[in-house]
Amino acid sequence: MSYYFCIIGSKDNPLFEYEFGTSKQGGDGVARFPAEARHMNPFIVHSSLDIVDEVQWLNNQMYLKVIDKFSTSHISCFLTPTSVKFLLLHLPHPPNTPPPANSTTFPFTSSFATSTNTSTSSLSRSALSSSSSSTSTSIATNPTSPQTEEAIRQFFTEVWELWIKATMNPFYHVDDPVKSPVFRTRVAAAGRKYL
Amino acid sequence: MTSSEDAHPVKPSSPLTSSPSPVLSKARRSTNSEAIRDHLPHLGNESPLVQSLTSTLLPPPITPAPRSVTSANGSRPSLYKQIDSRSGIPSPSLVSEGRPDEPRSTILRAFVPHVAVYASSDTEDLIRGKGVEGGLQELLRCFGERIQGKVVIRDSVGASRGWEDFGIRFFNLGDDPTHSGTGTLAHAVQADRQANGVPRDTDHISSLPTPGKSDRPMMDLDQVIDHYLSSDAPVQADQREADYVSFKTPRQESSTSTSPFFAIYLRKLLSGMPMVAHETFSHPVACVIAISSHSPAPIEALRQLYSNTSQGDRRVPGWVSNEYLRYYVLVHDEDTDDITKSTSLFEQMKRHFGLHCHLLRLRSSQCIPTDDESFRVPSCDWLSASEEFSDILKKEDAEDIEDPNKFVFESDAAAIRTFLREMVTQSIVPFMENRVAVWNDQVASRRRGISGRFMSLSKRWTGFGSARGSPSIGASGSASLSGNNYDPVHGYYPPETPEATMRRLADYAFMLRDWKLSQSTYELLKSDFGNDKAWRYHAGANEMSAISMLLIPQALSFRNQSEALDQMLDTASYSYLSRCSSAYGTVRCLIMAVELLRTRGAAAAEEAAKWAMRLLEFAILSPIAEALVVERVAECYKSRLGAGTHEWGLRRRKAALWCVLASDAWLRLERDSQAKLRLQDASALYGRFEKYSRTLPFAEMQNFWEKLESVLRSRSGDSGAVGDEMTEKLGHGLLVGEKDGQIGVLDHHQSWATRPGHGPAEGGLSSTASRTYGFSSAKDEDFE
Repeated sequence: MSYYFCIIGSKDNPLFEYEFGTSKQGGDGVARFPAEARHMNPFIVHSSLDIVDEVQWLNNQMYLKVIDKFSTSHISCFLTPTSVKFLLLHLPHPPNTPPPANSTTFPFTSSFATSTNTSTSSLSRSALSSSSSSTSTSIATNPTSPQTEEAIRQFFTEVWELWIKATMNPFYHVDDPVKSPVFRTRVAAAGRKYL
Repeated sequence: MTSSEDAHPVKPSSPLTSSPSPVLSKARRSTNSEAIRDHLPHLGNESPLVQSLTSTLLPPPITPAPRSVTSANGSRPSLYKQIDSRSGIPSPSLVSEGRPDEPRSTILRAFVPHVAVYASSDTEDLIRGKGVEGGLQELLRCFGERIQGKVVIRDSVGASRGWEDFGIRFFNLGDDPTHSGTGTLAHAVQADRQANGVPRDTDHISSLPTPGKSDRPMMDLDQVIDHYLSSDAPVQADQREADYVSFKTPRQESSTSTSPFFAIYLRKLLSGMPMVAHETFSHPVACVIAISSHSPAPIEALRQLYSNTSQGDRRVPGWVSNEYLRYYVLVHDEDTDDITKSTSLFEQMKRHFGLHCHLLRLRSSQCIPTDDESFRVPSCDWLSASEEFSDILKKEDAEDIEDPNKFVFESDAAAIRTFLREMVTQSIVPFMENRVAVWNDQVASRRRGISGRFMSLSKRWTGFGSARGSPSIGASGSASLSGNNYDPVHGYYPPETPEATMRRLADYAFMLRDWKLSQSTYELLKSDFGNDKAWRYHAGANEMSAISMLLIPQALSFRNQSEALDQMLDTASYSYLSRCSSAYGTVRCLIMAVELLRTRGAAAAEEAAKWAMRLLEFAILSPIAEALVVERVAECYKSRLGAGTHEWGLRRRKAALWCVLASDAWLRLERDSQAKLRLQDASALYGRFEKYSRTLPFAEMQNFWEKLESVLRSRSGDSGAVGDEMTEKLGHGLLVGEKDGQIGVLDHHQSWATRPGHGPAEGGLSSTASRTYGFSSAKDEDFE
């Protein structure tokens, strides 16, 4: 699973961006987004703010779980009380295949094509999930399993704590990007720890 | 109902007075007065515009307005009601009529009865003498697409309704309607298809189309769209006046606009329905048997033609029922023959063949455009993709400018229109109504009752049921042995089995626009076909069940029906694609569903986008179709209106994302003008024209954007930056936003200021917002 983590301020402006890969199940913590789809991640995250704006009124939790899905990318969201949003895009790798390095030109052709085997139909999907239920609950493969949800919640909670500490800095202004290298390393550590 | 009452749902006070949505209640709790103050000027601006907009969209007040009232007061949750009232779209049927490019009306007009034409050779000679190469079928076809005046249809409960846009399609008997062009259109592709197509051999039973064949239309379709794209789009659109009137002003009404290319795509997708066993839409409902006054032995000729349709070489394939209406036409030559002779012959025909006869008086000489009474034959909208493609090729081959339009005399045109109207209203529609009533009574109602259910059980378990289940129409001997009417070897139900009859019943009801009956019948059939493992039939029944459900003009009660709908679409697309490998079926099913869902309010627009994305995920579309569908996703998100004070539930950013994707896709296809349009759309949606946000929020987004722009600029070759042009468009885009009340740029920022429980981190924001709002509307006026 590859992750793209982003903190978004109240004017839809990014305050912090960080890309990493899974560290569970022997992952090396390096993000492996397909080369031609990587630049779309900000677009996807930005577009799912529409969903955040809607979902936030239906739910009084801060952790909103997976709110959106684009092709095979899932987006989890965490809202802070100052309406700063934590968004995590997670893209599971197709099983048993190394992430595609180069592919066709259209940025989503490859992801659409790979997604056909997972989402052709609810029928095939149920068959698929029942056959591979032993591995499908692990964090690295299934973006919607309760285990993944819980891991992401822990990650978000820790990042929130770090965020509060970072923004307590008296020189920090609301909606400024956070450039602190300490904050970045700590977020990276949280990512390694939980995801 | 008067027009002021029509406009009632969009009265400015409605969002504030109707039952509160979650947003409203929350907003009120915190900054009540502020919210209202911000909101009122906005509404004040909006209402006259919206009213004028709705008055142009809505047909004149005579339309069945009470329905709109009932649907608005229905049992839907308050949120949807509110969205409906804002958009002024109480039920989809009101909006669609009278707008030729509206997808819903396209879909309605796609499923019309097919009528075969079988004329004696002397009749064909006569017509060819008039300069119409394709004979009688080609002459009638253009007129048949739209029957003059209202066609009144009674549905199964006895209620009558008139339809303005009813039509019929003609094809030559013995041809597959997908390539019914014949002589004039002979060209390599076609010859090839005729060779591979339905052979008219003696063994009618075995001649089923191969599964792969159904994907042929898709390729032709692509080439047609490609042609339209490569010819300069706007010019082309203006030339084809009648069809693309709406093209010049698509951006003015962005909530319902359809790109002209998608309109073509949809129509071409639906126009070449192959004649297949599992659906009877393209099977003949009636057959026009024509003789002319040149014939020496007219009654004999008619007999000969008739026997050819039932036994001879023009017999329909084995899976098509032979029980269709025969309509006898005597073509009288006004120029050479004596009318008294023809009249007496016609009297004789009437005595022999009953009421389904007509005397068509045509002149045999050729008409040229400069003649006094010349009348241009209307162009055919519903040519199938392959025919259109061969037409295009022909036009390109012909060097000299040859007027493609055909002309007939005014009197001929009037005669043909009268003939068609009489045939449709007095013969075809009553015939279909009668068939529907009979089959509903004899076959379907047996299945609907308790005994019917029992019958289907006993059939499944004992194997005797089928023979007893169809005594009235006589089960075919070969199939009843297995207790299962499906013939797995040849892959079809013989036409006289109850299943095939019910499918015809449902299709007839669908073509007569009695969607309730058709839906309930498809519903019955679904399980039968599933039990018999007739997957193609199964997919078809699921598809049509979903489509008829979406066409029923009442509001879907969204909680339970959307699940059923989801399941049907899922089953249909899965059966088509995985079990029958029919990409055409999948694409047709999902595109129709997307278009119908899109017009059904907010929640449905979201569903529509979901299904469009699913269609993309199947990766069965050609690049051009893919780009068009990506555009549709953006359109779905755009058409989703916000609710409440702060446009809660808007999908502005999603729409923008898909516009960028569409732009990217068009660039890859080197369709720069399309890419540019989409980029401009995205630009308006991202709000790039605001002074403080000339750049996109994320650095990478900005990079990608600039890349797209630079590619566009280098391709177009002019030095003027795209951005400048965009700024020009922007005032325009903003105006649209105001008009529709949906592309408000700053609404989500406003929402932060009023968010309860979360401290107002940026206190002055909402005042900033209103200030900027005022600024931008001032800017508007500059551009006006």
